[in-house]
Amino acid sequence: MKKPLRYAIIGSGAAGTEAACQLRLRDPESEITVITASKLQFISRYDLPRVFEGVDDWRELLVYPPEFYEDNRITVRRNTWVAGVNPRENKLNFRHKEEMSYDKLLVASGGGGYMPEALREFLPYMNPFSTFSNAARLRDSLGKKGKVLMLGSDMVGLDLARYLTSAGHDVTVYANELLFWPHEIKPEDTAPYVKALETMGIKVVFGRKPVAVEPVNSSSKAGKYTRRLVFEKGKAELANVVMPFYGLMPALDFMIGANVDIERGLLVNPELKTTNDRIWAAGDVCQIWSPEENRYSFYYGWNNVKEMGHLAAHNMTGDNREIKTAQTNELKITKKGELHSPYWEHD
Amino acid sequence: MANRPQILTDMQVSFCGSAGDGTIAAGDIFKRAMAEAGYQIIAFDVYPPEIRGFGKCIARTRVTFDQVYSLKPQSDVLLSLDDSHAIPHVGEVRDYGAVIYEDRPMATVEEGEHMSGHLKPAQLPYGVSFRELSERATSGARFRNIVAVGFIAGLYGLPRDLFHRTIGRKFAGKPAEVTESNIAAFDLGYDDGAKTFQVDINGFGPPPKRKKSEKVLMMHGNSAVARGCLSAKIDTFFGYPITPATSIMEILAKEMPKRGGRLLQTEDEISAVAAIVGAGFTGSRSATSTSGPGLALMTEVMGLGSIAEVPCVIFVSQRGGPSTGMPTKTEQSDLNLAVRGVAGDAQRIVLAPTNVEGCFKCAGIAFEIAEKYQTPVIVLLDLYLSNRYEAVALPNKNPFKLDATKWAKKPGKGDAYQRYKLTPDFISPRAIPGQQGMQHTITGLEHNELGRPNDQPAMHEAMSHKRHEKLKTAINYPNLTTSKRFGDKGRVRVGVLSWGSTFGECLEAMITVRKQGITCSAMKVVMISPLPVDEISRFMDDCDVVLVPELNYEGQFASIVMGTLGRPVHRLNRVTGTPMAVNDIIEEIQILAADKPKRRKAAE
Repeated sequence: MKKPLRYAIIGSGAAGTEAACQLRLRDPESEITVITASKLQFISRYDLPRVFEGVDDWRELLVYPPEFYEDNRITVRRNTWVAGVNPRENKLNFRHKEEMSYDKLLVASGGGGYMPEALREFLPYMNPFSTFSNAARLRDSLGKKGKVLMLGSDMVGLDLARYLTSAGHDVTVYANELLFWPHEIKPEDTAPYVKALETMGIKVVFGRKPVAVEPVNSSSKAGKYTRRLVFEKGKAELANVVMPFYGLMPALDFMIGANVDIERGLLVNPELKTTNDRIWAAGDVCQIWSPEENRYSFYYGWNNVKEMGHLAAHNMTGDNREIKTAQTNELKITKKGELHSPYWEHD
Repeated sequence: MANRPQILTDMQVSFCGSAGDGTIAAGDIFKRAMAEAGYQIIAFDVYPPEIRGFGKCIARTRVTFDQVYSLKPQSDVLLSLDDSHAIPHVGEVRDYGAVIYEDRPMATVEEGEHMSGHLKPAQLPYGVSFRELSERATSGARFRNIVAVGFIAGLYGLPRDLFHRTIGRKFAGKPAEVTESNIAAFDLGYDDGAKTFQVDINGFGPPPKRKKSEKVLMMHGNSAVARGCLSAKIDTFFGYPITPATSIMEILAKEMPKRGGRLLQTEDEISAVAAIVGAGFTGSRSATSTSGPGLALMTEVMGLGSIAEVPCVIFVSQRGGPSTGMPTKTEQSDLNLAVRGVAGDAQRIVLAPTNVEGCFKCAGIAFEIAEKYQTPVIVLLDLYLSNRYEAVALPNKNPFKLDATKWAKKPGKGDAYQRYKLTPDFISPRAIPGQQGMQHTITGLEHNELGRPNDQPAMHEAMSHKRHEKLKTAINYPNLTTSKRFGDKGRVRVGVLSWGSTFGECLEAMITVRKQGITCSAMKVVMISPLPVDEISRFMDDCDVVLVPELNYEGQFASIVMGTLGRPVHRLNRVTGTPMAVNDIIEEIQILAADKPKRRKAAE
């Protein structure tokens, strides 16, 4: 009897989970293992703002119920960190000193929030927003009518900002040139889009460079606020939370030494294969070669990411299809004068 | 998390590790702290027969707001101190329950042997660096277990100082550095738990408010037995250590000398039982403790106790058998030996408590009964009950009579004292050596009323009759619950008849099936010999079918009931070495309630 193939997928987001589903369909006898640092099964980032609509139980946010993984024999190793990939022995090394063998590997580890070097030391005083626990903590920190200061911001941050303002919170964005990232808007063209944000109740401030974030003693004059954002030249602003949104940084540290090409992301051909025959990549982690543009590019957005997972699974099981973008990149202003981005759309 | 509705606590936490990991110690600190907080507790430890370095240890604690009667079939939290032992138990964690494990092990882990690869999709993983935290706190890894307790306390927001006090008490007799190291390890674990986001939906709500007058103690069955002995003012104890009864003797060895009592470790069980018969003859309240193999050795001398009509008490904690069997596993398979294991035609009194509080009561009252009926009394526990911890509310007043003897009056001039006088209540007035004018001999030979050897047919018949008949009235001994019915009154579809430690599981099963719409009652039988026939018979009259779950292969209690009452029962027997699973009883009740005549007929 033929030994079933062992597929390992690093990352349980939209790309990784879609790939696992497709692999099960295309190779019913295979062993499929998804590795994720998350404690929970797949929750879409796009659903996290629902905690501000009163969703208190994370189980309501699961994209697939636990039975789905059992029924499809997809093993999800949660709370597990990949420390390295050994391409010669086709093994993953976990942080907890266990190895796991694979026949084919898909890297779909996504991206973490990028943080400028100068602000990294203040991370403990900032609120990230990528997991359910992040969302719940944010909700608890804000209480009713809380004040949020967003640094940099990008379309992920602005997506959250619109939910926060709808929930009655006060949101100010201290913007830089990447305000609408990954949309590429020239500085001279940003005015109508900024106005659209203000129509949505989001305040946008340019030209203030944050240099520090400090905790504030609640018994001080700060009142209900617990954070102080300090700008260049000493001015400061108080708030309940400070959140960084400086774009995404592919989560790839564990791939160093894996004998694959890395630039900012993991470099893959249009079939999503890396320079290693047994390793593919999908989602925010990969930079895909575009023969037309003669460069490597990232394809962001739910639909693109999901499509990449789908395609990678097909190519890992014998197809040779090339990626095509599954969505537009056009930033729009609605009839109500509000901003709308295709990067906010999801299933 | 904020805005959660207040939860009514029902959390079961299991610590699992290898012998030497401190698994039982971790469980002990946890359950003692929870009991001090005021929660209801049921806890049971499973450990291997080897001393260290082999075998699996599991310490399970169920923490509840309301009184419950058994452990749950599924835990809410499993904490692994050794994945090789804990992985097989992952299935015992409920959906959305927490599995906590070491995520920075010292050595390389073989592929597939780390806990993270074995969780079910609905279970919640918490990887914790027990080893690193322990090393940071104490420069050593051996406080991993205390870090683990700290992590759970921090994760679920339990009071830190409560655990500090418990740890302080646990290591009170040791150098201060020991307590300090343990508290330092606990605190690092606590801090790590507190900053970890609790994804588990369940947790610990506030404990119930206790009455000030109530004295609630957490103890296991054996310590309740020891406390019962002390309350009954035991004078002498002779014993030989044997798992799982040893801790009775250990506790009494510490406590009896302080109260003027005497305890001697004899060379074997035969000496122990001979000594208590001797001590009982002199009027001393005397007892021994043993397990099945020891009881087997004691039977001959217990026969002497029966024929010589000497009060004494034998505490028996059953374990898996026969022979050496499974010393650290539970079973209810010494019932036949306790009730019927005797040479000759003798009956003895056998009490089987069903919970820890019952152990206290039965232990104390056993001395009264032994004195009243002048006979050996066996109190039958098993490993599960001996080692099971519960929060017990003890009465402030001593509930036991300190003398229940029917004493002889000094005979008239020229009359000889008749030690074995035939009386209407079949109990002969008793005297002890040294009482003036009441000199007498006792012997293992059949005797006349004076105690002199006599094997005439009429005398043997009269004395046999006396020895049997006097015990029958023990059913009516005051303040002793010989049996009790719970659940639905009147006619029921299924009745569950149970004895010993298994009753807790039966009660839980009965409560569950009643919620499912099945009419059901459960009866506990505490006095196994003589059997409270009338109460059992009335109970069976009310039941369409009677189920007898017990932890032995043959259904020993079922056979006693069927043999005594001549009525059919349905047996449910398990010999897994573990307590009866509540779900097994529930399933059996459901089958019986669904009326499957073929299966029932076969069983009967």
